[in-house]
Amino acid sequence: MNLKFHWMLPKSGEVASGVPQTPQQAARYRIESTRSDSRAAQPEMEGWLYFARRAEEAGIESVLVALNRYEPDPLIISCALGRATKSLKFIAAYRSGLMQPTTFVQQVNTLSGLIQGRIDLNIVAGSSTQEQHGYGDFLAHDERYARAEEFLAICNGFWRANGEVNFAGRHYQVEHGKLNTPFLAPDRNVPEIYVSGHSEPSERLAYSQGTCLLRVVDTTEKLRAAVARATTRGVRVCLRLALICRPTREEALQVALSLLPEDRRESTTAQKDDSQMYREGAAMAMNDHWLNPSLWAGLVPHYGPVWTTLLGSPDEVAAAFLSYREIGVSEFIISGWPEVDEVEIFGREVLPLIREAEAVARN
Amino acid sequence: MLPKGGEVAMKTAQETNRVLTTRSTSPAALPDMEGWVRFARCAEESGIESVLLSFSRYEPDTILIACAVGRATTRLKFIVAYRMGLMQPTTFVQQINTLSALIGGRVALNIVAGSSTEEQHGYGDFLDHDERYARADEFLHICHSLWREDAGVDFAGRYCRVEQAKLHTRFTAPDRDSPEIYVSGHSEQARWLALNRGSSWLRLIDTPEKLAPMVGGFREKGIEVSLRLAIICRSTHEEAVEAAVSMLPDEGVRAEERSILAGSDSQTLKSALAAADNVGWLNQNLWAGLVSSYGSSAITLLGSPAELAQRFLEYKRIGVTQFIISGWPKLDEMLIFGREVLPLIRKAESSAQSTAVRTARF
Repeated sequence: MNLKFHWMLPKSGEVASGVPQTPQQAARYRIESTRSDSRAAQPEMEGWLYFARRAEEAGIESVLVALNRYEPDPLIISCALGRATKSLKFIAAYRSGLMQPTTFVQQVNTLSGLIQGRIDLNIVAGSSTQEQHGYGDFLAHDERYARAEEFLAICNGFWRANGEVNFAGRHYQVEHGKLNTPFLAPDRNVPEIYVSGHSEPSERLAYSQGTCLLRVVDTTEKLRAAVARATTRGVRVCLRLALICRPTREEALQVALSLLPEDRRESTTAQKDDSQMYREGAAMAMNDHWLNPSLWAGLVPHYGPVWTTLLGSPDEVAAAFLSYREIGVSEFIISGWPEVDEVEIFGREVLPLIREAEAVARN
Repeated sequence: MLPKGGEVAMKTAQETNRVLTTRSTSPAALPDMEGWVRFARCAEESGIESVLLSFSRYEPDTILIACAVGRATTRLKFIVAYRMGLMQPTTFVQQINTLSALIGGRVALNIVAGSSTEEQHGYGDFLDHDERYARADEFLHICHSLWREDAGVDFAGRYCRVEQAKLHTRFTAPDRDSPEIYVSGHSEQARWLALNRGSSWLRLIDTPEKLAPMVGGFREKGIEVSLRLAIICRSTHEEAVEAAVSMLPDEGVRAEERSILAGSDSQTLKSALAAADNVGWLNQNLWAGLVSSYGSSAITLLGSPAELAQRFLEYKRIGVTQFIISGWPKLDEMLIFGREVLPLIRKAESSAQSTAVRTARF
């Protein structure tokens, strides 16, 4: 199986600025997207569509659409963008506790019928208690996972069983649940379910209800055991990372360093008080910013674990992706600065090298 | 009323019967972009202002349909039916606000409490009729706060609770900063909810005499009244009656529809069935004969174009401002309405120099 590459959908407005952006400006836009005056709050189709088409051309399979209170709703965005694209898939992030599972399945199934089944799900537990309270969710971290387990069990009941769904749990109760609108796709009858998180409950949830474990990139040595645990249970592994690819490693490094905040004390992650992933990210960065010569955590203390960055020349980056393939990783979700530039570089310079190596390996 | 999936292509009324469209093999379960977009564009040309999208477990989700059809149209608005208890209010507002920005603000809400306890149980909702309205009140209170406030919203009620709720994505429309809200239902609780949290009360049509006192009560408090009805318009009254009678389906289907209505805990559905059983003809142009076959919204205004136009204007005189209409076949009846009836209404309105009835909504 070839590796699959997905990309983070740019924040609304990032692509539309019309002005050529430096990586620093693009990264800044993302960091400041939580401010109430950010253009990221309002959907902006033109820039998104421009990016979506570049991503399709670059060989990207899906875009991840984030859920938070600062941005528009990911299911609705996936609908609008999916109606205007042909092959790109959408991994919509959603949290349990925001809607009844029956309603969620009805929305996802409807969406699948409107965009030829190009919808997958990233189920997250929520990383900020404050944000969850605004959504009416007052459960603690581990309880949120227990609820997510029930939530997905009901969803899978609708997708995998034919007939009525009955479920009586601690968090959800459904009697004679029945939806006439099915999940519609040319090649499957359930969406992929990416479960993200680094805690033990999140890993258990991925095994019991998910199809793919999504976690932040680390060195192959560190990841090997976790990847093996997942793949032996039939669950794929997808890594989330940032990418900076330039003709030489030195040039990539210059770009990376330019992303460091002028004020080194800056942090956007203080609010993420309830996430194992964020605690680990902070610890990792404190020890040593270089995890190996291609993997840099220098931005993690400032902006969070998903800023863990793979950097280097096309050859180096391609080799790094292939080393994850060796240990059993099958997919990646990438971001870059600016998103359009990095996805074009990736499609032009990196992906052909990977596909070539994969073809050689097959023969 | 937006036709269900597959309905735009159906030629007889009998095919669109609810008993058939709730079967799991019915095309009503599947999104029908081709039919919907065709219908929507005809609606725009016919002078229809909005389409109502009905919510049930037998059909695709209304918010997503509004997004897809809204992106393919330019003027038509979408009245999205949704029930409380299916989503957190913050999430609901986030979806509606996102939708509004993607389709030029052309979204309104039809808040319903749910008419079948069995269906609600399938959605994980186990409250009874009265409690569902109490929850809807809390739910809409939070929604309104999110639409109004810039600061974080705090609310602790019996059914809904949020702390420092805040969304950055705003409701976006050329002329409003929150959606219009139609509250439907005939019960005391539904009327109270419409008065306190809605912009319009939506109910089934009845005779102007019966409706006048209620309509007056709402209008005094600044709430509009919208009527849900079916129409059958033909060249003459006799032809319309003939067409109506020919739409009665076979006995088995009628018995099944009766049992749906009789088993509901909705006062709207009960009163519609009573009208059908007791009276049949409410006046010369208003017939409840199709209710026991097509459901409560099938109380039918029928007659010639001139008769229908006159009837609509009678409702206008007692204060009704909006109509949500359906007909059989869906597309044909709408085209007749736009061609034959609406011009007569507009002509009368302009000669009376009065404000126009908000265009009939299909």
